Amino acid sequence: MDELLADFIAETREMLEQSGTELVAWEADPSDKARIDTIFRFVHTVKGNCGFFDFPQLERLSHAAEDALAECRAGRREPDSALVSAVLAIIDRIGAMTDAIEAGEELDGKDDDALIAALDASGPTEIQSEVTVQPEAVDEAGEDAPAKGQRQSMQRSIRLPVDLLDEVMKGVSDMVLARNDLARRLREAGEQPTIDGPFERLSAILADVRTSITRMRMQRLEHLFSSLPRLVRDLSNELGKQVMVDFEGGEVELDREMIEMVRDPLTHIIRNAIDHGIEKPVDRLKKGKREIGLMRFAARQSGNQISLLVTDDGNGIDVDRLSEKAVAAGIYSHSEIKQMSQAQKLQLIFEPGLSTAAEVSSISGRGVGMDVVRSNLERVGGAIAVSSKPGEGTSFHLQLPLTLSIIAALTVSSDGQHYALPRSYIEEIVFGSSSSVEFAEAGERRLVTFRGRRVPCISLADVLGTESNERCDWESKTLVLIRLASDDVFALAVDRVHDHEDVVVKPIAPAIMATRLYAGTTLLDDGSPMMLIDLPSIAQMRGLVGELRSKPAIIAETQDKEEKAATPVMLFAGLDGRKRAVRLELVRRIDTVYADAFDIEGDRAQAVIEGRIFPLAGIEHGALPADRCRLLRLSDGESEVVYAVSEVLDAAEMTEEIVPSANDRSIEGVTLIGGKPVPLIDGHTLFQRHGVPQRSDSPLVCRLPQNSEWARTILEPLVVAAGYRIAGDAEEEADLAIALAGDTADETPGARETVRLRPDPEDTGDGSIYRYDRDGLMAVLKRVRTGRAA
Amino acid sequence: MNELLLMCTIAGRSAAIPALRVQSVLEIDTVTPIPGTPDYVCGITPLRSQALTVIDCSLALGFDQPSNSPERRAAVIEHDGHTYALLVDAAEDVAQATSDPVAIPGGLGEGWQRAAIGMVETESGPVVLVDVETIIAGPPALAA
Repeated sequence: MDELLADFIAETREMLEQSGTELVAWEADPSDKARIDTIFRFVHTVKGNCGFFDFPQLERLSHAAEDALAECRAGRREPDSALVSAVLAIIDRIGAMTDAIEAGEELDGKDDDALIAALDASGPTEIQSEVTVQPEAVDEAGEDAPAKGQRQSMQRSIRLPVDLLDEVMKGVSDMVLARNDLARRLREAGEQPTIDGPFERLSAILADVRTSITRMRMQRLEHLFSSLPRLVRDLSNELGKQVMVDFEGGEVELDREMIEMVRDPLTHIIRNAIDHGIEKPVDRLKKGKREIGLMRFAARQSGNQISLLVTDDGNGIDVDRLSEKAVAAGIYSHSEIKQMSQAQKLQLIFEPGLSTAAEVSSISGRGVGMDVVRSNLERVGGAIAVSSKPGEGTSFHLQLPLTLSIIAALTVSSDGQHYALPRSYIEEIVFGSSSSVEFAEAGERRLVTFRGRRVPCISLADVLGTESNERCDWESKTLVLIRLASDDVFALAVDRVHDHEDVVVKPIAPAIMATRLYAGTTLLDDGSPMMLIDLPSIAQMRGLVGELRSKPAIIAETQDKEEKAATPVMLFAGLDGRKRAVRLELVRRIDTVYADAFDIEGDRAQAVIEGRIFPLAGIEHGALPADRCRLLRLSDGESEVVYAVSEVLDAAEMTEEIVPSANDRSIEGVTLIGGKPVPLIDGHTLFQRHGVPQRSDSPLVCRLPQNSEWARTILEPLVVAAGYRIAGDAEEEADLAIALAGDTADETPGARETVRLRPDPEDTGDGSIYRYDRDGLMAVLKRVRTGRAA
Repeated sequence: MNELLLMCTIAGRSAAIPALRVQSVLEIDTVTPIPGTPDYVCGITPLRSQALTVIDCSLALGFDQPSNSPERRAAVIEHDGHTYALLVDAAEDVAQATSDPVAIPGGLGEGWQRAAIGMVETESGPVVLVDVETIIAGPPALAA
């Protein structure tokens, strides 16, 4: 019985969430029968279930709502805003009752008559309801009968305790470790065909199972999104505003626990946006905006991160007022504020104890500010950024890890031992020996100057107490530039940087926690443990946080940049994985080709795209991928060169100056994009080396058998597509002649090479090509061209 | 009375750990040291997909010498959601207590006194029944 009740509560909850959205959507378009159906089914199910459990109050409410909705379905009543509000009120009440039932409380004896009366208030035609409504309701009663024209096909699902899932996940992790162990032993034992095969299979299955288990914890963001329209509707109604919601990326999946974590921060942002951001309809019209405000939610997955962008088209954040508030609250002084850039001032919104709300309303400004939102997100390894344009709107950019327990980490070693650093804090990695790095000392503090920024530098070995700073050979270290969420930057010197890895983090014993150096432990693939370094805590202990906050000038850019004209570039990763840039004007298009499109021999490298041959560059950086390869097709206006890359990253704007490189002529120089150094491909050198005039200027000539229908209809298009021109008359000199086997009469002098096609697939050994051996034919066409180009 | 005990040697003396608390006895293969932790925390060692915190019982009791444990035997114990491997000189057998733990007039000596629940009689003579929580908490200076 208890289990039944729990199921009832869970089912009611789930449907509550769904119907909230449906109701709002229905209000916007009352003619949408499908939505009324959903809501109707909900109240109907509740009503039906109440029969089992004896909740007369609940039954009465749902019955009333059902009746009203049935009227609408039958077309006897036009749904209006009053009705929607009344039904919403009833659904809320049902929710509250459900909570009470779950908590095992007695239902309060509140009078629901008013709620029910609200349903009837504007019902104009009520006379015939009794007779006609009932049969229809019965008709719809079988809730297991799939609804006609249902928009999303329901997946079969059951409820499981999270503990059980965790248990299974742990079991699979154990299996993976055992597999790794076994793999190691198998390797040691040498090749054993009878075992290796099944072992491979086992590994593959295990990998699949692991993925599915992980997915068991995942849920579509839609789930979260579906509850937002209701929130937006209620808030905007309350404040006399009109707001529309738009979603994108609802199919992105996120850890269930993480979804719950984001719910509050998101609610907070929405409240703020509607309360302070979006203007009243009158004001919006005055400003030439649409009467209805728009809130957009866009989710996107990139690797192990989910980015969620929440944008409103309201008034933006009043930076000046924010600054005033910060001064008034004593967080910063006037002079400090004066030194801040607009962007820095905007960051004040995350300061504790600051609210832009002029007065405390019931919606926001209750002291729980964006600082809480930020710290909540950071606690789960996320981040939040804000940007705002006065009069145009505000956007919040949330970065969330995919799951709570898996984090992206950088493995480093210090003093012979491996450690993991959370990837989210890492800004950049540089070698201590690099010429762009300069060490300095100030008192006991080691400083490093890097690209005009002077940041404090600490050695991980010193932090962990395995090596003192005095004995540290700074130049031999690798520096990991850490940017904390508080925007404090410092450099952490480690012996070596190894790899990027996604690690499963487990808690550590209190005795280790007490050192405040570690945030958790994780197991490497070989089963050996590794500690996860707690960077914020270390920064705190070393006084790297407070110190910089009071003097933001230290890490501030040495000079404010002037506005420079931006040049669009395309960022890509070369075959060696390094990031490079090329001027966007040079890029014609991006192609994906298979490995057999390449023809590389000695210094000559070419690629065939759609039957055309292009000089190939970029391969000096690394090996071509085994199967598919991305190519940038670059053009100087006359000739084209393809450039092999491992990945096309992004388009960006180049605003910084280009620092030329004396030694490397293949690049124009190095520029900063997003603060990172990126080599810019030198188009001039590239085309000087690889560019050949486009072949259309002087296409090769091919002679085809004159009197063959087959040659004209089948062969000719193929040859033309391969970049040849068909010889006009018998006199014209051709680069290649194609003849049909046995057709000796057509053999013409004046062709450098003749290829014979035979009608028979069997190889007769005379060097002819089967006429439908397209690959063979293309190979010849390619060979002749490259022969001439070489 | 009749409590099962894991008989072991800590700091050269016979001692006993309540067997109910012990999940298993394992031979520790490799220990990854954790810099910055107090000495009695040897590091962590993997056990299946878990990482155990290895604690040297001798140092945890406040003795100067670490456990002299050629076999590197440790008792696996769970406390407060974390799993520990308590490294002892030797772990021999499971025995039955033939008496309730009692206090000894005059005490057991420093270190022992603090960590002991009391003395229990066994077939093979009296042993000190140690309190695992105290060991996990570490020597007095650090526990303070």
